[in-house]
Amino acid sequence: MMESLQYFLISWLDPQLLGLIALGTFAGIYVGAIPGLSVTMAASILISFTFTWDIYPALSLIVGIYMGGVYGGSRTAILLNIPGAPSAIATALDGYPLAQKGEAGEAIGLSTVMSFFGGAVGIAVLAIAAPTVSEFALRFQPRDYMLLAILGILLVGSLSGESLMKGVFAGALGLLIGAVGLDPLTAQERFTFGIIDLWGGISFIAVMIGLFGISEALMQLHHIDKLAIKQAISRIIPSWRAVRKFLPLSLQTSAIGVFIGALPGTGGDIAALMAYDHAKRVTKDPEVPFGHGAREGLVAPEAANNAAVGGAFIPMITLGIPGDAVTAIIIGAMFIHGLNPGPMLMIDRPEMFWFIVGALVAANVFMLIFGLTGIRLFVKIVELPRPVLIPLILLLSIVGAYAVSNRLMDVYWALGFGVFGYFLKLYGYQVGPVILGVILSRLIDENWRRAIISDREDLGGLLWGTLSSPLSAVLLASVILIFVSQTPLWGMAGRGWRRLRG
Amino acid sequence: MHDKTRRLPGEAAFSLALVVLSLWLTTVAFEISGFEALSAPGSFPMAVTAVMVITSGLIFWRTARLPAAGHIRDWREILPLRVVGMTVMIGLYAAALQPVGFVPTSFLFLTVSIWMLGRTSPFYALGISALSVAGIYIVFRLIFTVLMPEGVVPEREIIAWVQSLFAGAPK
Repeated sequence: MMESLQYFLISWLDPQLLGLIALGTFAGIYVGAIPGLSVTMAASILISFTFTWDIYPALSLIVGIYMGGVYGGSRTAILLNIPGAPSAIATALDGYPLAQKGEAGEAIGLSTVMSFFGGAVGIAVLAIAAPTVSEFALRFQPRDYMLLAILGILLVGSLSGESLMKGVFAGALGLLIGAVGLDPLTAQERFTFGIIDLWGGISFIAVMIGLFGISEALMQLHHIDKLAIKQAISRIIPSWRAVRKFLPLSLQTSAIGVFIGALPGTGGDIAALMAYDHAKRVTKDPEVPFGHGAREGLVAPEAANNAAVGGAFIPMITLGIPGDAVTAIIIGAMFIHGLNPGPMLMIDRPEMFWFIVGALVAANVFMLIFGLTGIRLFVKIVELPRPVLIPLILLLSIVGAYAVSNRLMDVYWALGFGVFGYFLKLYGYQVGPVILGVILSRLIDENWRRAIISDREDLGGLLWGTLSSPLSAVLLASVILIFVSQTPLWGMAGRGWRRLRG
Repeated sequence: MHDKTRRLPGEAAFSLALVVLSLWLTTVAFEISGFEALSAPGSFPMAVTAVMVITSGLIFWRTARLPAAGHIRDWREILPLRVVGMTVMIGLYAAALQPVGFVPTSFLFLTVSIWMLGRTSPFYALGISALSVAGIYIVFRLIFTVLMPEGVVPEREIIAWVQSLFAGAPK
């Protein structure tokens, strides 16, 4: 216990680490707030600059960016009706009407305080649940890991995009990119075409910077002429009465947020939409109708999406399976720093886990501080003209791709994936599943082979093993259910069922 | 935002290209180890490429049957000149980065692109670029100690010279 507390306090007692968390949170809030710049983009570009650092400072910065970025998206959702991040889509529904009524300051203040509560709930659940989950996860069979990873990709693919097919294609493409290079078990070449440079695989950072940095910046060129709208912002610190009134609701939706965030493949965006729906159902007579500036509709998603941050760390740390694109990036960064997220991490490196929890708490506090202050500076940064902003992002993307290993090859990969990602986005494909696929490729491949070898290459034996273990059976059923629910088969089954019942 | 009930220019060709890519990758995956064993190095790539073939095929089939988007006929709506121009610019920037060095290349890249995108005065672009390059250099090269290509500018000598100014007289 004392040891855990000691590890927890590492980031709090070191001024440099605390400063980096503050810097990360600050950067996250502002990047998240600029429409078109996502927290994923910020994380992917900035992480590439931290590879030469020690693991503690690198994680401090990343944790700060994540926490700040999820919150930052709500700012522009309220002020401009443009969600800065997908997790702020639900925030705009009632936040923007509030701003139109001239209550932008109060809306921002309330959303900041509620994000803080949500974040705190998420971190508390992470601290309590992760050790138990990881103990439980030690009993997982290779087939369970494989199924969990497939479940994660399917969830991201089906929930975030316009069609399951495009999501699954993107996920499979990511798995393929992750398989390029020498096979980890037999050292046989896969998709290398005789090029020695490809033996080590395609740099995950290059793929990430291309898809989230360059392609997003190119997409933004479509809207280069759009001007930022100025909003008058008044009193920002919310009244104690308002906080007390909405606290029960925010705690409820925080619980939703943690749960959704903890499912592999689902993150703050879905949590926020579900929380909004929950608020609508439980609020019998709101002072203002939902969609017209109901404060309940602002509080619920904001608490939930920040609670999802803590939740998303649970599968990431205990199973090595990312909850969303940002946690996929964090897992990639941990790999490069020689850490192996999974149930053994808690046993081999307990200090890492408690350090992350401590850093998250610090980031949550900084989010509250920066959220309630510095509004003038904020307005200035968000109004940064796009003709300046976009070239800067492109420049940082290229330098970031180069900085990882000082190879021009990575820069060209980033550029290639940037252009490819541009077309993917243009035609409605999601790029999130690609990055999840790249990260999970090796995990699925290795666990599939372990599973099938332990059953002596007998597919029937593997299937029987899966069906006779309750955990594997539930996972397999979930994978099938998600897949079927998104295809026309679901409708047919429903009609058949109704016909049967007469 | 992409409208899934209409087909954008080039969308059918793009989805067809993905089908062709997937088919080709399937043959490459097959050549890794064929149907040797379920645990062979090639079985996972084959499964993945098979999924790609099926999904891209279905996507193409659906896309081809969609009505073409009426309001967007012009290719420039899909691929504005700005996007093509900027892509070429970053390509050139990446190619020049190592031989010429970070500082001059970045400065030139930022100046030209801000000037072109913003249609502002060249002096504004020059000023903003100089500030930005200085800022990035200080944050990433000096504080975060990220290695950036030096190229033609003798950076190390300059940094050493600046440090010597603050180091006082040699003892």
